[in-house]
Amino acid sequence: MTQAIRSSKLKATDGQTTMLRLALLTCFLAIAAPIGAAEWSQIRIVPGNIVLPKTGDSQRFLVLAKIADGQEEDVTSQCKFTLSTPGIVAVETETGIVTGEHPGRAEIRVKLASLTSSTQVTVSEGTSEARVRFSPDVISVFTTKGCNSSGCHGSPAGQNGFKLSLFGYDVAADHEMVLRKHNGRRVDLADPEKSLILRKPLFDIPHGGGRLMTKESEEYRTLLQWLKEGAKLESNGPRMTRLEMYPAEQVLTGNGSKMRFVVMGRLSDGTTRDMTHEVRYSSSADRVAVIAPDGVATATGSGLTTVLARGMGSVAASQIGVIQQKADAHFPSLPPNNFIDELVYAKQKKLNVAPTGLSTDSEFIRRVYLDTIGLAPTGEEVRAFMANQRQDKRVLLIDSLLKRPEYASFWTVKFEDWFRNNQLNSQGRSMGKFKEWVSARLAADLPYDQMVRDLITSEGDTFQEPATNFWHPATDFMLKKFDVKKATPTVSRLFLGIRMECAECHNHPLENFTQDDFYGLSAFFARLQVKHGPAEYRRTWYLADEGEVEHPVTKKPVPAKFLGGETPQFAPDEDRRVALANWVTSPKNPYFARATVNRIWHEYFQAGLVEPFDDFRSTNPATNKELLDRLAAFFVDSGFHLQALHRLILNSRTYQLSSRSAGPSANPELERLLFARYEVRKLPAEALLDSISQVTGVAHPFSNYPAGTRAMDLYVPDAPDYFLVAFGFPRRDIICERSRTPTLSQALHMINGDTVRKKVDAPDNALGGWIKDGWSDDRIVSEIYLDSYARPASSSELTSVKEFVESEMAAGRSRRAALGSFLWTVLNSKEFQVNH
Amino acid sequence: MQRRDFIRMGSLAFGGLNLPTLLEGEKQASERSCIVVFQNGGASQLDTFDPKPDAPSDIRGSFGSVPTSIPGIHFSGLLPRTAKSLNRFAVIRSMHSDEAIHERARQYIFSGTKPRNDLLQPSYGAVMSKERGPQNGLPPFVVIPDKDLSADAGFLGPSYDPFVAGDPNTKTFSVKDLTLPSGVTFEEALARKGLLAKLDRGFIEAENSPLLESMDEFYQKAYDLIASPAARKAFDIGSEPDKLRDAYGRTGVGQGCLLARRLIESGVRLATVFHGGYDTHAQHEKLTKPLMTDFDQAFPTLLEDLDQRGMLANTLVIVIGDFGRTPKINFSGGRDHWPRASAVALAGAGVKGGVVVGKTDKQAGEPVDRPVTIEDFAATVYKILGINFDKEYHANGRPVRIVKDGVPVKEVLA
Repeated sequence: MTQAIRSSKLKATDGQTTMLRLALLTCFLAIAAPIGAAEWSQIRIVPGNIVLPKTGDSQRFLVLAKIADGQEEDVTSQCKFTLSTPGIVAVETETGIVTGEHPGRAEIRVKLASLTSSTQVTVSEGTSEARVRFSPDVISVFTTKGCNSSGCHGSPAGQNGFKLSLFGYDVAADHEMVLRKHNGRRVDLADPEKSLILRKPLFDIPHGGGRLMTKESEEYRTLLQWLKEGAKLESNGPRMTRLEMYPAEQVLTGNGSKMRFVVMGRLSDGTTRDMTHEVRYSSSADRVAVIAPDGVATATGSGLTTVLARGMGSVAASQIGVIQQKADAHFPSLPPNNFIDELVYAKQKKLNVAPTGLSTDSEFIRRVYLDTIGLAPTGEEVRAFMANQRQDKRVLLIDSLLKRPEYASFWTVKFEDWFRNNQLNSQGRSMGKFKEWVSARLAADLPYDQMVRDLITSEGDTFQEPATNFWHPATDFMLKKFDVKKATPTVSRLFLGIRMECAECHNHPLENFTQDDFYGLSAFFARLQVKHGPAEYRRTWYLADEGEVEHPVTKKPVPAKFLGGETPQFAPDEDRRVALANWVTSPKNPYFARATVNRIWHEYFQAGLVEPFDDFRSTNPATNKELLDRLAAFFVDSGFHLQALHRLILNSRTYQLSSRSAGPSANPELERLLFARYEVRKLPAEALLDSISQVTGVAHPFSNYPAGTRAMDLYVPDAPDYFLVAFGFPRRDIICERSRTPTLSQALHMINGDTVRKKVDAPDNALGGWIKDGWSDDRIVSEIYLDSYARPASSSELTSVKEFVESEMAAGRSRRAALGSFLWTVLNSKEFQVNH
Repeated sequence: MQRRDFIRMGSLAFGGLNLPTLLEGEKQASERSCIVVFQNGGASQLDTFDPKPDAPSDIRGSFGSVPTSIPGIHFSGLLPRTAKSLNRFAVIRSMHSDEAIHERARQYIFSGTKPRNDLLQPSYGAVMSKERGPQNGLPPFVVIPDKDLSADAGFLGPSYDPFVAGDPNTKTFSVKDLTLPSGVTFEEALARKGLLAKLDRGFIEAENSPLLESMDEFYQKAYDLIASPAARKAFDIGSEPDKLRDAYGRTGVGQGCLLARRLIESGVRLATVFHGGYDTHAQHEKLTKPLMTDFDQAFPTLLEDLDQRGMLANTLVIVIGDFGRTPKINFSGGRDHWPRASAVALAGAGVKGGVVVGKTDKQAGEPVDRPVTIEDFAATVYKILGINFDKEYHANGRPVRIVKDGVPVKEVLA
């Protein structure tokens, strides 16, 4: 047991020689075909920089070896270990545990075939007395047993009077609760074994949480020992500063395959603590992988899941992908159009999700029209594109679409959804000004960072300074007052991709953001105010001379603080929002560009690189971090031009993939999350209505708008058209995505409703014109196909339609009625109502 | 022949033409249904169930009070018929909240959860839809006459949104989009449906997309509903005897309540009847009187009708609104928003008749005894309907309870 390296002998190695050998080996491997175990290309030890508090303390670790496709596997038990200085630590190589033997520092060197790696381990001169501390020891018991989880005593209301901070973030409060609250009824220091905090989890007396431990368990002994030693808080004890989980990303092949995870805490005194058995694990999708209390994850089904480890008020995450077999030699190797494709392919190959083929020209032209300008292409536009023989015709089409005025109109509606340009809170009067303001910026492709700075620092009359309408959703309608607590989560979600709503009331359970962060961000808006009048619906936003945000607990003014950053100093009359706007939009801001590119990406792919697309946190890792980083860097380098981003995405082969599944064995969820095919989506309400109007040649009549106005150009209507509401026109009064799911009302309205009926029946519609011009049935049918689907009808479709028209006429209906029924059918078809 | 085919297609899903047998015994809580009568804008507690005849005239108003069927309890003079049937329902006089904005207050009372900035809680009807699902091929959640955005499915998603019935108090009443448009014959509709299936088939198969399958399912449901004799019959208020229609009152709320009864009878889980204009910031008494008169005709008739059909034991009826109104009549003769105190009524499904819970101060401004929160009220509703309101849904990646921290009002429960 005292042998330093168990199951392997100590041997000094010459670092330089090894490096050289490694380099040679890499060259060799690059030339030779990989065979068997020699596929390993690199090894590493995690975690690094282990600092054991004292002799006798241990830390679990992993040796990971890189294999083909960039995946890693646990090779700990297959490695040879050596130590730079013997006698400092002992290494258990089978299970991967390092234990301090003597104060000092040593390097663990590891070797696998001809690959090597090393890491530093320090053993501090901590006292060896075996005192049990409230934090981390007792808190860890509360965590692993689930006592302080949100479903139990960690809920904001506690459970039966006993309330703990969520996963132990507030050590002092927890100690107070255990020791003193309710007349100290939970502990009996005179007779520790009689304490409620022992008898409840033992189920000696009834406990809503059931029996959680036995007298023989280590947890019981920890609690008892702590009570015997006086149940002290020792508030000067170390705090957790960061929790780390290894590996951060893992692919498991085949259901039932396992991976051991290691969790380590970094403490405020500079030491580390093995938390692998002291955290509470969870998996976001048990159908993909489950994780046991000892940190071993088991694959249960194909997909992606995030596993979380929570303890001592901190949280760490890893991403697990489960596949049933690795990509083989037949995995498609496709030419990339730009860096998006290279990075998307790499991830797809790692998870063996093959991309579909390229979209046809028909599919592409209809898709790109609907995604950029919210309209289907006309038959004429389709014919011109098909006839074009240029290799770069897709590139040219993308360029021309982004220049069309409908691009600005269509994307403005999305920004109106995001900025919540709505009726309820602004009484519908100056919203048109805001719409025009956004639209003008999109049309001119003004830099987005400038637009955001203008929004955050806006002040003045809502008509003269339209950007001020941005503040409306943060107004308390009844009190006619600005509410900073509403502005804070809006700004943070929109521009940083961070949801702060939870942190208003308590520390974020899934993130290391606290209530202090929330109020620190609020303080930038502390002096913003609104006055009403003189005329009805006139409002003016201005900065008051004074005003501070009060912390709800301390009741003291909170200094303005950048999220996760510093506390800037201000002159008394300085507009704090300017500093915030500059910080938000700085090229160095880690969130702004990522949040923005992810939002735009989500519009095109129906899945963000981070999903949900406005929920960035360390516990919600990106499905493709490299791509997110590159896109963000690209956006910054472009000078924050949204059109540059659109152009890059639209030109990628990934965007131009077919929507048709690779095959029946494909996993639709993985295909969506890894962008292996274009995701079929419903047309937004405005695009569907505008397309119906365009195909039928009958503009939709909107009350109080000139004839021919498109749905996408409406100012937020006081009473939106029934069609728009039924198809998901959003209310915009809460932060919420536009609904994208089909409903019964939609189907009923398409089948029986007057929107489609009136346009199909209008005597002077497109159909009426063609009949008047003497077009044949075939020509009319072909034209409707091109206008609606951007493709010619197949011969079997032509036959079906022909038979239909003949049979209708045989049943005594007019040619016009029969062709009208066909037009009705096309508008009701799924192919028309979706983008694919 | 084709017409019959069309009808048969639908009836397969609904199992026949008849309304469910009447006069069934008391069912389990999990089989209960609910009718919500919603007073749009918020009715005055003083002019409904909590009059203060001894208060100064600018508080008590001019409607006076009438004795109810329970000795010692008085209602507003506007509700003589309702007062007489108090033995059939219970009243809570001490409801209170702090939401004074219509939209937020409505979301609150319809869900039992204080509205949040980032999440819209599902209303009672949406939760019933989700927990119980459709019955006899009818939509589980119906609103009369129109959709109110506070009473929809919120984060549960639009598939649980209500079905809109339209206004049954019109001569030409027909449910929106339920019947084929005039000029389109059954034969034509059938032919279109056939062609649609042909055009859709290839596309749906090739794309292999869950979205397309779901859209196709909704189309199938829509066709079933259009062809369903059960649905047509449920919405056919014209088949009610004139005498009964008159008894309910030929008013929006009267015919709305009657339609609600027909729908519940046919298998709808929850029907909401919206009534009013109660948002009377000026000319309160002039505007309120006709509304209350209509309500006073409809509500007791509904209870009696349900009772006679043996449905009252299984149907919860609640009368709620945005909030109460200010005790003091303002200088425009109006009453403004007042969430601090409001009065609601509950009947049927085991609710004890003749019970009055809670008490307000001399001007009906604040509860002074047994205050009841919106959460408590919602917990009561769900408890009666047999829905576990502690259940957690998942929204925005966090668990959200149907009702948090609500305790059912035991006094009204049998």
